[in-house]
Amino acid sequence: MMPKLEIEPGSSAVYHTGDWRTRQPRYQDKWPPCSQVCPASEDIQAWLALAAEQQWQAAWRKLTDRNPFPATMGRICYHACESACNRKHLDSAVNIHAMERYLGDMAIARGWQHKPYCDQPQAQRVAIIGAGPAGLSCAFQLARHGYAVTIFDAGVAPGGTLHSGIPDYRLPKAILASEIDAILALGIELRLNSRVGDVVNEAALRDEFDAVFVAIGTQQPRHYPHADHSNHSLMSGLEFLHRLNRGEPVALPKQVAVIGGGNTAIDVARCARRLGAEATVICAHDPHGSHHRELGTEMPASLQEVVEAEAEGVQLIYRAGVRRLVRSGEHLSGIEIAHVDQLHDRHGNFNPVLFDGTEEFVAAGLAIFAIGQETDWQGLAQLSQASEKEGVWIGGDAAGKSKLAATAVGSGYQAAMSIMASLKGESFRYGEHKKSKVTFRDMQLHYYPKQTRCEGEMSEQRLEGFNEVVKGLVDDDAVYEAKRCLSCGVCFECDNCWHFCPDAAVIKKTGAYEIDYDYCKGCGICAQECPCGHIDMEALK
Amino acid sequence: MDNRDPFRHNVLTSGHRACSGCGEAMAARMVSDLVGPEAIYVNATGCLQVFSTHNQQSAWQAPWLHSVFANAAAVASGVEAALRAKGKHTPVVVQAGDGGTFDIGLQCLSGMIERGHDVLFVCYDNEAYMNTGVQRSSSTPHAVRTSTSPPGQFSQGKHEIKKDVISIIAAHQMPYAATATIAYFPDLKAKVEKAMRIKGPRFLQVLSPCPLGWAHDSGLSVTVSRLAVETGLFPLVELEHGELTGVMRIAEQKPVEAYLRPQGRFKHLFGSKAGSVELRHLQALADARIRRYGLLDADTQWTTESAMQSERHGRGGYAGEQA
Repeated sequence: MMPKLEIEPGSSAVYHTGDWRTRQPRYQDKWPPCSQVCPASEDIQAWLALAAEQQWQAAWRKLTDRNPFPATMGRICYHACESACNRKHLDSAVNIHAMERYLGDMAIARGWQHKPYCDQPQAQRVAIIGAGPAGLSCAFQLARHGYAVTIFDAGVAPGGTLHSGIPDYRLPKAILASEIDAILALGIELRLNSRVGDVVNEAALRDEFDAVFVAIGTQQPRHYPHADHSNHSLMSGLEFLHRLNRGEPVALPKQVAVIGGGNTAIDVARCARRLGAEATVICAHDPHGSHHRELGTEMPASLQEVVEAEAEGVQLIYRAGVRRLVRSGEHLSGIEIAHVDQLHDRHGNFNPVLFDGTEEFVAAGLAIFAIGQETDWQGLAQLSQASEKEGVWIGGDAAGKSKLAATAVGSGYQAAMSIMASLKGESFRYGEHKKSKVTFRDMQLHYYPKQTRCEGEMSEQRLEGFNEVVKGLVDDDAVYEAKRCLSCGVCFECDNCWHFCPDAAVIKKTGAYEIDYDYCKGCGICAQECPCGHIDMEALK
Repeated sequence: MDNRDPFRHNVLTSGHRACSGCGEAMAARMVSDLVGPEAIYVNATGCLQVFSTHNQQSAWQAPWLHSVFANAAAVASGVEAALRAKGKHTPVVVQAGDGGTFDIGLQCLSGMIERGHDVLFVCYDNEAYMNTGVQRSSSTPHAVRTSTSPPGQFSQGKHEIKKDVISIIAAHQMPYAATATIAYFPDLKAKVEKAMRIKGPRFLQVLSPCPLGWAHDSGLSVTVSRLAVETGLFPLVELEHGELTGVMRIAEQKPVEAYLRPQGRFKHLFGSKAGSVELRHLQALADARIRRYGLLDADTQWTTESAMQSERHGRGGYAGEQA
C-alpha cells in the first residue's frame, strides 16, 4: 500500500492559460479576389473546391446558383477573376474560365437540369422584357423561387446579344441554346417576336404583371458623327454580326476597315477574315498601355481576343482616328487616318484631336463602324421613367455603363433578389461585398507548390470556317486545374493551425477546427502559418 | 483525462505553463503524439520539465518521470533494462533540452548509446538555458546575445560556435540519428516513425525556437525555424551507423539575414562594422554546412519546398488516430 501523497497530482488542464492572452485568433471566411471582381458574384472558390474533389454536379449547381450560363460564359467572359487571382503572385492565375466551360459542357452533355428552390408556386407574376443574359438570369432566379415569369423578346430567338452579337467561332449556337433551354425548362414562358412598345403595349403589361424587369440591352448602334450611314459602303458592326448570326449571306470587298477598339470591332474583323477579306482595325487605343494618359481609358477589347485576332492575320492600327472617308464616286476607296491624341473633350463630347502631318491611307471597300451602341427606348417612354417603387426594374446593359455579359447576369440576379424582396414587402440589401478581402500578402504562398497552368488547346485551320477556336480542358487537366485554386480566405483543412498550436488549443473536428479559448495564449502562430489567410488576430481590450 | 480532440491524443495537453508561442511545447506535443501514449517518457531538467509539471499539475497524459539534470539518459537506461527484464516492449523516450543534451547530460547520453539501450532520445534544441534566464550553452550559435554573452564594446555576443552534437552522436556508430524542426511536420513525422521502427539507441535533435530567448514575435516560431533550414544554418539530416543517409535539399537558399533579422538575439549585428563581420561569418558558416551535407545538390525529391506543401484535408495526422 502506497502512502498517500500530501498534495495529489492533477492535470494541468484545470489551469486555464487562456487568460494570458492579449490578442486572439478567429477563423474568418473571406471573399476571395476572384469572387470580389466577378460581375456575376460567383462563389468561384466554392465550385472549384467541389470540382477538385470531382463532385462535378455539385460544383455545377454551386456555380449555376449565380450564373446559369457556365458553358457560355466560360467561352466569352473576359474573366476579370483571373486578372485578380492571387495565384499569379506564385506562378500564374487559375484557368477559371476553362473550368467554368468544362462544367457547363459537362452539364449539357449529361443533361443536368436545374432544380427549383421551392415547389410552392408564388401568386405574383413577373414580366421580363428582353431574353438576353440579364433577362434570362433574372427569370432563372425568379422561376427557381416559384414565381410565374413571362419573357417578351423582339427577336426570333432568345439570347439577346449572346445570340445575335457573338460569332460562332467564339460561342457555338447549340451551346447557348442548350443553356437557355435548361433555364426555360423551369417553367418560364417565352414570347418571341413580341416587341414591347410595338406588339405589346407597355401600359397593358404593367396592369397584367406585379413587376416588370426591363433588360433590353443596347441594340442601337452608335453612328459615327461625320459619316453618312445610308451609304452602302458603310455598315455598323452590330448589323454585320446580326446578319452573320442570322445566317444571311454577306458579300465583302477584298479589303475591309473596322473602326473601333472594343470586342465588337475585333469580332467583326475576325469574321471578315473568315469570309476571305483582309481586315484592318483602326483603333484609338493601344492594348499595351493599360491606361492611357491622354485617352483616359483602357482599350476596351480583351487582350486575349486581340492576340487571337493578330494571329489570324487581322491588321491592327493603334492610336489612330478617322480623318475622312475617301470615295471614288459612290464607292469607298479607303480611309484617311491620323494619329489621335484625344477622343473626347473635357465635357465628354466626342471631339477627336488628330495631329496634322500624321495622315495615312488605309485602302478599304467597306468601312464597318463598331464604336459602341445605345439603348433603344422607342415605345417604352413610361417604363424608362418608372422606378422600383412603381414595380419597374431596369437592368443589364440598358441600366449601366458596363457591356459585359457577366455584368448582365449579375444585374439580373440582383434585380431578381430585389423584386422578390419587394413582392414580399421586405427591404433588400446586397450583403456579400461586406465580407473582408484577402490579398496575397495575407497568405503564406510558400505552402503551395508551383504548378503550371493548363490551357485549352487552340484549333488549327482557324480561318477555314466559323468552328470554335479554343478547345476545352481534358478531364485530367480539369481536376489538376481545380486543385490549383489557393482557396484564398477560405479554410481547406490543411491542418496547419492544428499541428502548430503549442498549447493544443486548436481542436480538429470533422470538416472544421475550433479554438479552445480556455487555453489559447494568443501567440499568433496559427494566423501566421495559415496558408490562405483564413485566420485573423484580434486585439483584446 | 483530456480527450477533447477526436483526431489526436494530446500526450502533452493544454494548461501547461510554456510561454506564448513556445517552439519546444509544440515540438514535444508533436513528437509525443507521434510516439503515442503507451510510451514511458523520461525528462531531464529544463523548460519542458518545469512548464509541463507546474504545481503538481501535469500536462502529460502518459507515464512520465523526472530525476535530475544530468542523468535522464541513465534513468531511461534503467527503465529500459527493467522493461526488458520483465519481457515488455514498452517504448522509452528521453526528452531533454540542449543543456541536458549538449552539456550536462552528454556523459549519460554517450553511455546510454554505447551500451545500446533501446531508447529514443529527443533533444529539443532552443540554443540556450532558457528556463533559468537565457544563459549561453554549448548549443548557442556564434554571435548570439544571451545574458552570459552580452554584446558590447569588446564582444559581438557568443564568441564560440555551436557544438556539432549530431556528429558526436553519430560517431558512436549508432543505428539512427537525425535532425528535424517544427516547421516541417511531415519530415518530423517521417523521422519519428522511422526511429520507432528501429531497435537500439536513437537520437533526434529538434530545433525549437524560443520567442523569449530568441526575442522574436511569438507568432513567428514556425517561420523562424523554417528559415533556419532554408538558410542552411540548421541542416536537416539523417545518419545511420555514422553514415549520412538522407538530407532535406534546400530548394532555394535564403541569405542568413532573412533568418537573423526577425530575432532580437542577433539585433546587435545590424548597423555596426564589427557586426557586419559577424554577419559574413554566419553566412560563411551556413555555406560551409550546405557544402558539407550537399544541401543544394543532393539527389532527393525531399526538399524545403516539397516538405511544405499544404494539402486539402491535411498533411497526415498522428499514429493511433481515432477517426
